[in-house]
Amino acid sequence: MSVPTAQNIESDLTGLWKIDQDSHLSQSGIRRIYTTNLVAYASDHEDGYRVEGILGDLVQYHPGRYILVRPAADTAEAPLRYYVSGRCLSWADPEKRVCCDMVKLVAQKEIIENLYGFTFSILVPDLPVEFWWPGDMPYYNSFFEHMAEQLNRVWVDSSKFKDPVQSLARLAAFWHKRYPKTNLADMNWIRIQRWQALIAELFDGEWSKYLKEIKQVTIEYGEGGTPLRSFYLACWLAAQLGWRHHQPRLSKLTDPLVFEGPNGSVEILLKPVPAPDHRADRIFAVGIVTQGEHAGIFTVVRDEDPHLVIARSEVNHQLAFSRVVTFEHLHSDDVLAIGLKHFEADPVWKKTLQMAGSILVHPDMSLEKGSKG
Amino acid sequence: MLSSALLENPLRQGLSSGRVAPPCSLVIYGASGDLTARKLVPALFELYEKHLLPVSFNLIGISRSAISDEDFRKKLKEALLQSKPQVSDAIWNSFSQNFHYHAGGYDDFKVYQALAVKLNELDEKNGTVGNRIFYLSTPPNVFEEIISNLGAAGLAKEEKGFSRVVIEKPFGHDLDSAKELNQKVREVFKENQIYRIDHYLGKETVQNFLVMRFANSIFEPIWDRRYVDHIQITASEDLGVGTRAGYYESSGILRDMFQNHLFQVMCLMAMEPPVIFEANAIRDEKLKILQAIRPFDEQTVRTHAIRGQYGPGFLAGQKVPGYRQEAGVDPQSITPTYAAIKIFLDTWRWHGVPFFLRSAKRLPKRTTEAAIQFKEPPNLLFKNNMTELSPNVLIIRIQPDEGITLKFETKVPGMSMEARTVNMDFRYGTSFAEGTSEAYERLLLDCMLGDATLFIRGDETEAAWAALMPVLNLWETTQPEGTFPNYEAGSWGPAEADEMMEKPWRKWRKL
Repeated sequence: MSVPTAQNIESDLTGLWKIDQDSHLSQSGIRRIYTTNLVAYASDHEDGYRVEGILGDLVQYHPGRYILVRPAADTAEAPLRYYVSGRCLSWADPEKRVCCDMVKLVAQKEIIENLYGFTFSILVPDLPVEFWWPGDMPYYNSFFEHMAEQLNRVWVDSSKFKDPVQSLARLAAFWHKRYPKTNLADMNWIRIQRWQALIAELFDGEWSKYLKEIKQVTIEYGEGGTPLRSFYLACWLAAQLGWRHHQPRLSKLTDPLVFEGPNGSVEILLKPVPAPDHRADRIFAVGIVTQGEHAGIFTVVRDEDPHLVIARSEVNHQLAFSRVVTFEHLHSDDVLAIGLKHFEADPVWKKTLQMAGSILVHPDMSLEKGSKG
Repeated sequence: MLSSALLENPLRQGLSSGRVAPPCSLVIYGASGDLTARKLVPALFELYEKHLLPVSFNLIGISRSAISDEDFRKKLKEALLQSKPQVSDAIWNSFSQNFHYHAGGYDDFKVYQALAVKLNELDEKNGTVGNRIFYLSTPPNVFEEIISNLGAAGLAKEEKGFSRVVIEKPFGHDLDSAKELNQKVREVFKENQIYRIDHYLGKETVQNFLVMRFANSIFEPIWDRRYVDHIQITASEDLGVGTRAGYYESSGILRDMFQNHLFQVMCLMAMEPPVIFEANAIRDEKLKILQAIRPFDEQTVRTHAIRGQYGPGFLAGQKVPGYRQEAGVDPQSITPTYAAIKIFLDTWRWHGVPFFLRSAKRLPKRTTEAAIQFKEPPNLLFKNNMTELSPNVLIIRIQPDEGITLKFETKVPGMSMEARTVNMDFRYGTSFAEGTSEAYERLLLDCMLGDATLFIRGDETEAAWAALMPVLNLWETTQPEGTFPNYEAGSWGPAEADEMMEKPWRKWRKL
């Protein structure tokens, strides 16, 4: 293995693709095309395998340069090693072929703390840089800090937060102050977007007048998990519909949520329902009840067929409409693929996070960087 | 563009499906035809899958064939399953729950009255709020009849919601018929209710012309007569006329490809930047290009327009018949299956720059592209070292293998100063794994949203016909010079087409 320098890594990658171009594959039009840089951090050896697998699958959506940083498994290993590889995916259509470079940096923990500069040096210039932090939010981590300060967008996955209330409240409280130039994105937010779309559809056109009459929302989630996605969905509804939270701040996500809507109070219940373990936190159904002149029930429910979801509405006890749509499970690579498609900041997510911040207890700021003197 | 659904429904804000169509009913005339089953319904299904089709949506098929609602849905389902075998019954039933069929003659006014009643009922039942689109996917000889009856039945009025008419090509057979059709349509619908469809404009790469030209600063400064030697636009087909001989015998390649598709591509290549990205601003600029086409006279038709017809030949090693041997074709037919035209645009930007447009059937491959060949470099610096430098060419490939290629000179590694032409390639297929949307998907959605940017305005169709008429008139009243058919199936067309290039460095691109 060569000495880890940016030049050696570039040279190895060029050599890698040259071998491929010289082989029979050149006929099928191999090209090194990049649309993005993605840097991922894995907290340990095992997580490294998982993240590497996800990056490998992600190539089918976003050709780019992927850099995986992970700690060495053993303190006896070299301070810093690198591995380069390329991955191409082809479709039946011979014109469809996307490739990515993968650079894996394996370093001792103390080296990683200061590895940001080296990581910057092996990015493809002039392209956006995404940083995926798949684990819990760190209180202080030099690598994270520097990446978050200088890159375009940071992806977190709140489903991995060990203390979701605290971590979410922290993100709401400090992110945009501390990293004003860096967009923040949460993979869990992507996971609920299809629910958002289905709920939104129920209120298109003439049905939009029912939005003002919402009295109660019930969100069913898989028992045994933390209902973070359901909580997000609740915050999204409240933020988009201009509801205000007046109750004391919550320390648990399962506490009832009461808002002040345009026509009185609106209650949101997060209700656990039996579900297989691996479905914990997954949303199973959303029911929205409206009252007054525009009384109705609007539901989005998972079908017995796990690939289907049914959206329907009943007004004055009569079926107004129903729609069945496919709802395939999204794996992490699918979630990232959807998220990376749009590069702009997401104002709705920002608003939802602010709403979450206004509902949850204040974070313990004594643990933040700089607060310990 | 914000749809009305988005404006009214705050939950739509920020969703990727924000460009959702408002509630509406789509009435398809000629619904038992191929286009409905093969293109329109699959496009609607894609919109449904992407949450872009409104929940309140009705489709009413109208045709002469006497079939039931159930048979209509069954036929559409079978067609959809050919391209999407994974669609389950539950999904199909949900998607097609508001599909209806109405059998009747296009000349029968009672059918239109019944349609009006049905649409009102569906508005009430499904919340489609009086929004209607009438899609004319019929032979053109019944366009006027349908439109006039729609008007008489009060279906063109926009009292409760919008009323739009989509008209498939061909829009007219010549300038006079296009003017007449425009007049008849405008007697019933206002111009902003009329959507003349050219599916080429729905193609992702055609739309990318606008992005490439006007979202980058490096192309526009060299996009004129000072730097461009000529432009070639090619749309070639390897197929013959197949089962379309009846239509083709009366239309030929000029009506089939030039008046609409190729002229539209030329407009997008040549037009000035519009002031805003809005339907009429863009269509105003396209119209100026069509109006700037230097008129052909008899002499220039002979020198600047080459017609051809394929004879028997070989394609992919298989013997294929000539045009005159195809079923349904007159054995003495002079219908052109090949045309190459040299066009000059009398504008400040393009003065003296020829646009070579070429389209044909039974060429070696199916491809559509626009290529800008830049002027040759002076070659002073390298005159002692190099024999020839090739001009730079920027190629925009529309289909297949959508993308952009720039050809430029580079030094061959070594001790000598030798240059070689290399390609710098951008391909959609290697940069975006996501497939490009079908043209009809985009165009149907745009029509529902009231965005006419990718549709052709009435004055554009007339200007296009006006430019083409001298060629059509001469070709249809005179026998071709020399032998005819004049190119073998599987070849790149008649040799005469090379002569119009005039300059030795100009050659038709071998694609």
